[in-house]
Amino acid sequence: MKKIAVFYALVLGVLTAGAQAESILIKGGKVHTLADMGSLESADVLVVDGKVEQVAPALDVSADRVIDAKGKVVTPGVIAPISELGLVEISAASGTNDNAVTGESIGSAFNPVPAYNPKSTLIPFNRAGGVTSAVVFPAISTWDEAAVAAQRVFAGRGFAIKLNGEFNSVEAKDVAQKAYLGETGAQLAGGSRANAYAKVENALSEAKEYRDNRAAIRRGEWRELNYSLADLEALQPVINGTEPLLITADRASDILAVIELAKAFDVKLVLLGAAEGWMVADQLAQAQVPVVIDAINNLPISFSSLGARLDNAALLTKAGVKVAISGPDYVSTHNVYLSRQSAGNAVAHGLPYEEALKSISTNVADIFRLSGGTLEKGATADIVVWSGDPLEVTSYPEQVLIEGEPQSLVTRSTRLRDRHLKPAKGHDFGYRN
Amino acid sequence: MQLHSRFFGRGIAALLCASLLVSACGEKKAGGEQRSPDFARLDTFPSTYSVTQSRPVLIQGATLLTGTGEQLENTDLLLKGGKIAQIGQELKAPKDALVVNGKGKWVTPGIIDVHSHLGDYPAPSIESSQDGNEMTSPNTAQVWVEHSVWTQDPQFPLALAGGVTTLQILPGSANLFGGRSVTLKNVPGRSVQDMKFPGAPYGLKMACGENPKRVYGTKGTAPSTRMGNVAGYRNAWIEASNYKKKWEDFLEKGGEEPERDLGLETLAGVLNGDILVHNHCYRGEEMAVMMDIAKEFDFQISTFHHAVEAYKVADLLAENNVCAAMWADWWGFKHEAFDMTEANIAIVDQAKACAMIHSDSGIGVQHLNEEVAKAMTAGQRAGFDIQPKDAVAWMTSNPAKALGIEAQTGSLEKGKMADVVVWSGNPFSVYTLVDQVFIDGELMYDRSDKKRQPRSDFELGIIDAEGERL
Repeated sequence: MKKIAVFYALVLGVLTAGAQAESILIKGGKVHTLADMGSLESADVLVVDGKVEQVAPALDVSADRVIDAKGKVVTPGVIAPISELGLVEISAASGTNDNAVTGESIGSAFNPVPAYNPKSTLIPFNRAGGVTSAVVFPAISTWDEAAVAAQRVFAGRGFAIKLNGEFNSVEAKDVAQKAYLGETGAQLAGGSRANAYAKVENALSEAKEYRDNRAAIRRGEWRELNYSLADLEALQPVINGTEPLLITADRASDILAVIELAKAFDVKLVLLGAAEGWMVADQLAQAQVPVVIDAINNLPISFSSLGARLDNAALLTKAGVKVAISGPDYVSTHNVYLSRQSAGNAVAHGLPYEEALKSISTNVADIFRLSGGTLEKGATADIVVWSGDPLEVTSYPEQVLIEGEPQSLVTRSTRLRDRHLKPAKGHDFGYRN
Repeated sequence: MQLHSRFFGRGIAALLCASLLVSACGEKKAGGEQRSPDFARLDTFPSTYSVTQSRPVLIQGATLLTGTGEQLENTDLLLKGGKIAQIGQELKAPKDALVVNGKGKWVTPGIIDVHSHLGDYPAPSIESSQDGNEMTSPNTAQVWVEHSVWTQDPQFPLALAGGVTTLQILPGSANLFGGRSVTLKNVPGRSVQDMKFPGAPYGLKMACGENPKRVYGTKGTAPSTRMGNVAGYRNAWIEASNYKKKWEDFLEKGGEEPERDLGLETLAGVLNGDILVHNHCYRGEEMAVMMDIAKEFDFQISTFHHAVEAYKVADLLAENNVCAAMWADWWGFKHEAFDMTEANIAIVDQAKACAMIHSDSGIGVQHLNEEVAKAMTAGQRAGFDIQPKDAVAWMTSNPAKALGIEAQTGSLEKGKMADVVVWSGNPFSVYTLVDQVFIDGELMYDRSDKKRQPRSDFELGIIDAEGERL
């Protein structure tokens, strides 16, 4: 049966002039499906038409391309839950930064999608690190005096990308709205957490007011509102519960306040930061609030994160909270692929292994409703074949598929390495590729 | 037994003079006649570091990475009197020894982080704790970072749990000359002097590139360009050369005693070889320029830090005997950090230059073993034969060289300070944890014993008045 399916897929591929991806059989690897089938010591993964067609211990099928994965590990691609990929090239070169606006009053309406650059060097680099998709969020810089003076706490609209570097690689728009509470919120809202809280409260109230009185408000027959119509429009999917609100908070008491706020407005909440999440893990679990954490950051770097610790991911997961692990903040968006090192450290501090794999793929896909994240029939074939354990610092991706397409793993890092492998006098290097 | 550090320190200073091959240690040149002024002034804020020697330690049957290029299987290591006493098979445990079962465990020298801001950029990071950059003039050679160090920074014990036994604390990179560094042993201290590595030479922090020119250029003062940076260095070295000569003439010929100048004293200490240059420098071109400046004024650069492009000039580094301290994979935060390759450390190492990891981070410092593992893997992928026995030097013996303390620590060799880490397994695995850390032979951290895990004053009662922060 399967052979026939592959055959038809091939014929269709020819008929549609190459629009269909080739079929690929990944043979004999250790496969973590992160789905019902769990982990298989040795299994084959058949990819047809950009999707996972079948996963089984031994498949008797042929395919256009066979990848020998014996001794290798096969997982869904890594998904970065928070990044600025394609919006930032060099952090300290302002012309290459489109992630944040300064001064201007735009908040929740800010949509960075038109600024997204799929040809950024960060894309191949993180792809070669095993990242197949990412959520890209705008930000507000607390270093930017004009932005702070504008007293905005909504950064705007996040979108999702595939890391194939194609011009059409935006996978989904409006995957979440981002706002700041807690200490950062306080800095942005004139100096108090309470005011940041009030600003979010006010925005959500006005968004409801706008929803219920849209016609009159648009005609100008309404009281003056604090937020622009564009901002209030952007919050509609949030108050309607179709788009999550990503809110930053680290201190335990701040997290509880955010949970209450989300309850009051019946908003679907995702918590970003949660350094002290472990202290209120039960409340987070009960409210079914997923968290995006920087699992390797155990520094009491502010008075909001005095309780930061390396077993945060383990404690949260144990309490039943859905955890996504981000790239370490301290290495910036350039290295979001290092979420796997953070996840490895989380395992070293008590997080069950498969939960760690899920925290950098499956859980991210679930939280932001993205494709990928599992290897089961019908799943988008975003797949990495690793040289060894994907959470281990001595392992690396040997094959990366995005929507079933094999990807290049060449990066500026490997190009510069190969050019200067044996540095020596003279100008010859300038003629090397 | 108490090892009193002033006593201890003097012995070490003598050793250092030998190892540095410089003429100016102490009061006499090798020839015996000419006296050299004491610009380094190691005795002004003398180390009061001391370690109580409670009992010998025998680690049995572990895998040792010596830091000298060897991996020894199923080997015993005896620590005694604060020193590494013996390495071998089936060593006899002295009476009262603490015996550590090393089966399945790996042992390395204590990790040395050559680039740290613990204490001068402490956690929590608040307005009043930003003590690393005296951003008031491009040349602040007169400041000494030890006067900024907050010893109760809770990042010190976190770094200890990552196996870090020695750190160089540096001023920041805002200035061409940022001031003096200080090398610390990672032990609790009520004063910074309590942590100072006895006899370790001082360093001078210098900075190339974007930071100084940005900080001062935006203020409308020099430097505002890279060429302005270089003019700033050279002018200062001219002044320092004159200052040094004035003092040498005074010591030789007598006459009126010259007036002391704190900043020039530090630079003159570099010129006479007592103070080591630690130079924040990303770009290959700038490293080449800095090495020529060193030739022009006849001093030695110890180490380029954040040397993202060291791989491009690795042969020059080897030729000039200059080390490079690098990250495994940080990049892109500014233009001079754009040309990163993960094989950087490996390429520098293979070019026979002295290569090492460094953190510049309160998080990175806790995972230097993982950072080395990534750099080692990148080297292997580049086709080099680099094994754990080799790569361990990037976090132990090579940073010891960079700091001028390689005669005292940085390797598992008889007679060296017993700065030793016992790991739960291969240190180049993400799952491996530090089980025990010994500093000068004393158990300073034990993962299985809360009572042997230091906490800073800051951590007491900070979340829960009665409980622990962690």
